[in-house]
Amino acid sequence: MTASHISSSLRVLPRLARAASGIALVIALLALWEASARLGWVDSLNWPPFTAVLAALRDGLWSGELPALLGNTLGYMLVGYAAGSAAGIALGLLLGLSPLLMRIVSPLVETLRPIPISAIVPPLILFLGVGDALKIFIVAFSSFFPVLINTVAGVRDGSPVLRQTARTLRLSRAATLRKLVLPGALPAIFAGLRTSLGIALVVAIIAEMVAGASGIGYFIVQAQYAMQPAPMYAAVLCLSLAGYALNRAILRFEKTALPWHGRA
Amino acid sequence: MSRARLVERWLPGTLAVAGVLAAWELLGRGGTLNPALLPAPSVVLATLVDVVRDDALAPPIARTLALMATGYLIACACGIALGVAMGRSEAVHALMEPLVELVRPIPKPALIPPLFLFLGIGLQTMLFIVVLAAFFPVLINTVQGVRGVDPVLLDTARTLRLSRRATVLRVVLPAALPMVATGMRVSLGLALTLVVVAEMLAGENGVGFLILDMQRAFQIQKMYAWLVVLALLGLLLNGAFEWAERRALPWRAHLS
Repeated sequence: MTASHISSSLRVLPRLARAASGIALVIALLALWEASARLGWVDSLNWPPFTAVLAALRDGLWSGELPALLGNTLGYMLVGYAAGSAAGIALGLLLGLSPLLMRIVSPLVETLRPIPISAIVPPLILFLGVGDALKIFIVAFSSFFPVLINTVAGVRDGSPVLRQTARTLRLSRAATLRKLVLPGALPAIFAGLRTSLGIALVVAIIAEMVAGASGIGYFIVQAQYAMQPAPMYAAVLCLSLAGYALNRAILRFEKTALPWHGRA
Repeated sequence: MSRARLVERWLPGTLAVAGVLAAWELLGRGGTLNPALLPAPSVVLATLVDVVRDDALAPPIARTLALMATGYLIACACGIALGVAMGRSEAVHALMEPLVELVRPIPKPALIPPLFLFLGIGLQTMLFIVVLAAFFPVLINTVQGVRGVDPVLLDTARTLRLSRRATVLRVVLPAALPMVATGMRVSLGLALTLVVVAEMLAGENGVGFLILDMQRAFQIQKMYAWLVVLALLGLLLNGAFEWAERRALPWRAHLS
């Protein structure tokens, strides 16, 4: 090994140590959790050791209970998300292209938007009951606004020169929309889609907790009432993984859909 | 803006809102809408006036706002502090990033039941959940903002021998402020939403508790009255934030 090899591997070492430090911190915290429960530092029935949570997670996954709950929640969440996002993009394109329509609709939007989404669960229960219709609607409602706002901004930020060029080339309105406006607005639309996806999962859980009836959010509340901390933590862990996976999935989707915008 | 332009700008939207309210009122009076599900706006307004007359308006609002403001401010302070540390130092970033990325994707409402078990059903749990929900957007945006500071600015600070403290306070923070403000705006909405959820699940008071309680007691008119209060609260908070942002970031105002 030459001197330059050694010095370059020496330079890698601190970086490795840094990268390891973060994982070490997580492991240390988990070990602290385990020890605090096993050695009785935290004397509480509600503080199961981490390994007990892992065992509950394994049992839940094995028996199919957790996948079924999660599937239920994610299923209607995705339906609501798709509906809300599609409506947001469609209305956003319209509003972005027509200033008059924007002036008509925007005060309505601005009146509805600041309502905390959790607050409209109780009235919606009156209309839709506590079943899937409620959950789909409320997820769609909350996914709608970020996508709408971002789409409008994306369309409006589109270069006027491009639009004039389209007119010079006598592109039809439909072609201009499809070939110019939509691609130009896509990065902004994706930013809205990403925001909405995070909100969709949160809102789905809130609806399940407040309205009850089914899904993993309801399961967590039930486990709390029944004082069964291990399955409850296992479900939270499961949800955390789902949240992480959803975020990765949309980032991946964004990369394939917007290859020219990848380096941001 | 001239009067004609003001009219042109605001008239269509105002008419649209008025139109929706009028249609709702007419349908309510005509009996098309079931008043047990959706009372007419005038009925909701009358109920709201009753609430104000009974002096019942202020205490729940004060409670909800106090809880929210405390949690929000703690979250912003912690998020900005850790965000600056993570943005400025690679070592701190490497140390904290895995932990942050592990906790961040958890849908925060899912943590309410575990926290009830652990911290008990009470004020500290509700506060904790608000802090947790509002913390991450501020943190993530601060890290990004601090890392995005123009290196020329940092070099200039070094050339002028600014102390580390002065560099952070006078160069890094002002440059990162627009990003930080974006995170804080996201957090504001989250904080209000989570306060309401926490009050629904745990509260014995507060606007969120009242809305769910009135629904369960079938006092539908009161439920809508409180919903209007909450909507106005959200509107006011949002407006106040935008006003503060314009004052603090005048150079950014023309962007939005």
